[in-house]
Amino acid sequence: MKKNRTMIIIFLTPAMICYLLVFLYPSIRTTIMSFFAVESVSDPISTWSFNGLENYRTLFNTAIFRQSMRNIASIWLVGGIGVMVTALFFAVSLTNGMKFSKFFRSVIYLPNVVSAIAMGTMWINYVYNSSYGLLHDIFATLGMTTLSETLWTGPDKLFWSMLVAYSFGMVGYHMLIFMASIEQIPKDYMEAAQIEGANVFQRFFHITLPFLRGCFRTNIVMWTVFTVAFFVWGQLFSPVNLSNATVAPMNYMYEIVFGSSASTTTVRDSGAGAAVGVIMMIIVIIAFSATNLIVKNDDVEL
Amino acid sequence: MAKKLRSLDHHTQVRLIPSYVLVVTWAIFTFVLIGWVFFASFSTSQEIFSDSMFKFESGFHFENYIRAWNTQKVSVYFMNSLMYTVVSCTSIILIASPAAYVLSRFKFRGNLSIQSLLASALGIPAIMIVMPLFSLVSRLRLTNNRWLLIFLYIAMNVPFTTFFLLAFFKSLSTTYEEAAYIDGCSPMGTFWRIMFPLVQPGIITVTVFNFITIWNEYFMSMIFANKPKVRPVSVGLFNMIQAMRYTGDWGGMFASVVIVFLPTFLLYIFLSERIIQGVTAGAIKG
Amino acid sequence: MKKKGMVVALLVLAVIATPLFAGGSAEDAAGKKTVTYWSMWNEAEPQGLVMAEAAEAFEEETGIEVEIVFNGREIRKTLQPALDAGETIDIFDEDISRVNSTWGEYLLPLEEYVSKSYPTTGGESYSDAVSTALIDLARQAGGGTLKTAPYQPFAFVVMYNKDHFNKAGITETPKTWTEFENVCAKLVQAGITPITVDDAYMAAFFGYNMARLAGYERTLEMANNNEFNDPAVLEFGKIWSDFAKKGYISKKAASNIYPAGQIEEIAAGKVAMYLNGTWLPNEIKGNAPNFNWGAFAWPEMGPNGNGTEANNYGAQCFGINANSQVPDEAFQFIVYLTTGEWDSKLAKESLGVPMGKNSTWPKQTAEAKTIIDNTTTWMTWAAGMENLADVNAKIKENFSKLILGSLNAEQFYAAMNK
Repeated sequence: MKKNRTMIIIFLTPAMICYLLVFLYPSIRTTIMSFFAVESVSDPISTWSFNGLENYRTLFNTAIFRQSMRNIASIWLVGGIGVMVTALFFAVSLTNGMKFSKFFRSVIYLPNVVSAIAMGTMWINYVYNSSYGLLHDIFATLGMTTLSETLWTGPDKLFWSMLVAYSFGMVGYHMLIFMASIEQIPKDYMEAAQIEGANVFQRFFHITLPFLRGCFRTNIVMWTVFTVAFFVWGQLFSPVNLSNATVAPMNYMYEIVFGSSASTTTVRDSGAGAAVGVIMMIIVIIAFSATNLIVKNDDVEL
Repeated sequence: MAKKLRSLDHHTQVRLIPSYVLVVTWAIFTFVLIGWVFFASFSTSQEIFSDSMFKFESGFHFENYIRAWNTQKVSVYFMNSLMYTVVSCTSIILIASPAAYVLSRFKFRGNLSIQSLLASALGIPAIMIVMPLFSLVSRLRLTNNRWLLIFLYIAMNVPFTTFFLLAFFKSLSTTYEEAAYIDGCSPMGTFWRIMFPLVQPGIITVTVFNFITIWNEYFMSMIFANKPKVRPVSVGLFNMIQAMRYTGDWGGMFASVVIVFLPTFLLYIFLSERIIQGVTAGAIKG
Repeated sequence: MKKKGMVVALLVLAVIATPLFAGGSAEDAAGKKTVTYWSMWNEAEPQGLVMAEAAEAFEEETGIEVEIVFNGREIRKTLQPALDAGETIDIFDEDISRVNSTWGEYLLPLEEYVSKSYPTTGGESYSDAVSTALIDLARQAGGGTLKTAPYQPFAFVVMYNKDHFNKAGITETPKTWTEFENVCAKLVQAGITPITVDDAYMAAFFGYNMARLAGYERTLEMANNNEFNDPAVLEFGKIWSDFAKKGYISKKAASNIYPAGQIEEIAAGKVAMYLNGTWLPNEIKGNAPNFNWGAFAWPEMGPNGNGTEANNYGAQCFGINANSQVPDEAFQFIVYLTTGEWDSKLAKESLGVPMGKNSTWPKQTAEAKTIIDNTTTWMTWAAGMENLADVNAKIKENFSKLILGSLNAEQFYAAMNK
């Protein structure tokens, strides 16, 4: 047993160091920092001054931060529903005896493998271009002139265009998770139901869905984690400075912690940046606990 | 029975027609999207911003690639990323698999808490950890240091990888260890010589997954590697795109996009099964 | 097996080809000094290419090595944390306001350096050898002390397509708002969209309009207090919703993500005018190599505002880090870049303006020179409208909606005051 103990320590220490140094210590320091007035991120602790909840108050008094919270709320809810429904539809279709399902599965997942920077550039410069873009061409070919002239990156549509582009890439990931769970449903259940004459919808609602409860939880938690980390797409859809339609909390934090991209008289506020981080963390914790409460399921561990 | 199922199969195919339509449309859209970039990379700036791009009136511009590789430093970014991913993927396995092994095999106080701590790392947003790390790193004068970047890539992926490999070690029978013990093999020796090779499928899966994650990692690299010399491809690509706005070399830019995208794409074509396994196994357990 | 061999070879290559530790000290073992310059340019930009070349020539002549770190405009985010962290940075550059105000605390005063003469200044002191107007401007920006060395001067003016004006039969550039309306009407008649803008320049567009309608002082006040309860805001709404209806401003302007407008509309020859910097010809010369450029000051709009004498002009500015270990060498390199051979080369390659006295502007922007000469009220960047992220975002959103007609003038005014 003694021998084992040394081994446990030797084998476990490097991994624990990684965790402590890169996850635990920074999380604690960020939380503390969020209650202090700190200008530069590299200011030593001695220059911090305690100001209670002031950073949080400042954030919620800033219109653009409130906007960024509204934006990720929409991304989470609307994008979430869209992505989950599409992903589930593809997952059910592909596990239902479709031909070439492996090929389609790979293709649908493909955008996840491509760097988001590359994907975003394709969407902005090609799909959404209002004079020669893909959507423009498609609608023009179909003779739908008004639709073909839509300004997809105009003020009322910019957010939704960004959300569609983002969600398009996310569908594959969530589809895979659904597929893996569906494949775990015992085959004879389905066959029995099929022979009994249950139609595709009956089978879906009475067999597939109940089996997928745990899987939904995983998907919701992961979707929340991704939403909270929403950054690159906001940067791509407003490359020079922040826009109301595309700003996410992380974009705002980047701006106030590392220096503004457009204005020439900037006050940095790393304390408020830390508060943004804490708010994001709280959102993840809430989502995690809420899904645990709502979807009680013991057969799939998380 | 079999006959009945076969006729059902025919029915299924008919009923699946709407699904086929949607899935095929989706797939075509994906191909068009990526295909456009590919075509654009052989075109000129003026043609890209016109209706006539696909006609290639001025021919195929292979020189876009040469220019991208030389003047845009794609070669530097590419080599950086290659080095970062290879070194960190290897190190991650060397750190995570012993940890996963002891967590799966030995009962000790705190084992379960450690497991859940590691699992929770997946939920900690980068925004939560980036500031203290940056402050620490800059006080140590380690920004723009390759080893620091590699350390970050390793440390950020070790918890998940450990958690992922746990399940694989759990599924191995203890008889291997017993036999090794009888042969006089030390526990550590047993691990490296016997158990470690046995989880090879899991290691490959998670490594492919880690490779893609690290190759495409953006936020941390952006903060910690702002010198062109040390930039990986994802940050390099964003910078190239930004630069292109000021230089107007769009053909060269899309060539850069293709160069950056190609390695992951090829990897994906050959290893998509593995990658998909990695994602699903990881997500269900994690 | 072959595949494996290749992977190994690639790996070895990757490791060998890349020196593992980045960053460096100011002086290496052999006593060779190194100046580290964090640049606002990208290495593929003309400015970046020329500077890299100049650095090599400089090293050959003086034995001082210059390490250029090309940040591109991302330097707005990367520089300050790096300076705070004490990274070795001797020279950095950006727009005159940013270097002098945002990064002001890091700067080494340069008065002493500019009063000396250098090999390329022809026996004169540096400040006598280069444009006095720009040195004065930089001194003013530094609060009375010269802390930065300006180069690449620019003016923020209406850049327009002369061929379009000729085609529409317009012989004179507009100075008043009535004349401007006439120009727009003629262009529309000739089938040309008069003006466009990108999201990145909307705040500047709004700022210029405000300065012409309500005066520069009042405009700054609105921008910095985030209060837009001024009749000029409503007036702006009326003018541009009317102009949008008449097709005087491109509908696409509402959806242009920079640089869509300048490339797909201006360079493509669809739109005639763009309120932008004199850097525009350089930025889009890849897409429109033979563009016939002209420039005029944003016309006057009303009795309460400034006229064409109020403009934003400036330069990019080099600053030297107050903590630099090699300030003399750093300034020497700045002199090398902004005088003599490399000054001309930098200007020529980037369609920019040399720093030397009495230097001529390239033909693309020559008319902007007159505008600067006639400017008596200097305006800051975007007339202050980019000072607050909130204000900038609000302008972009509401102005886009105004262009599309989803807000009318009153609603625009209300939205700006929400």
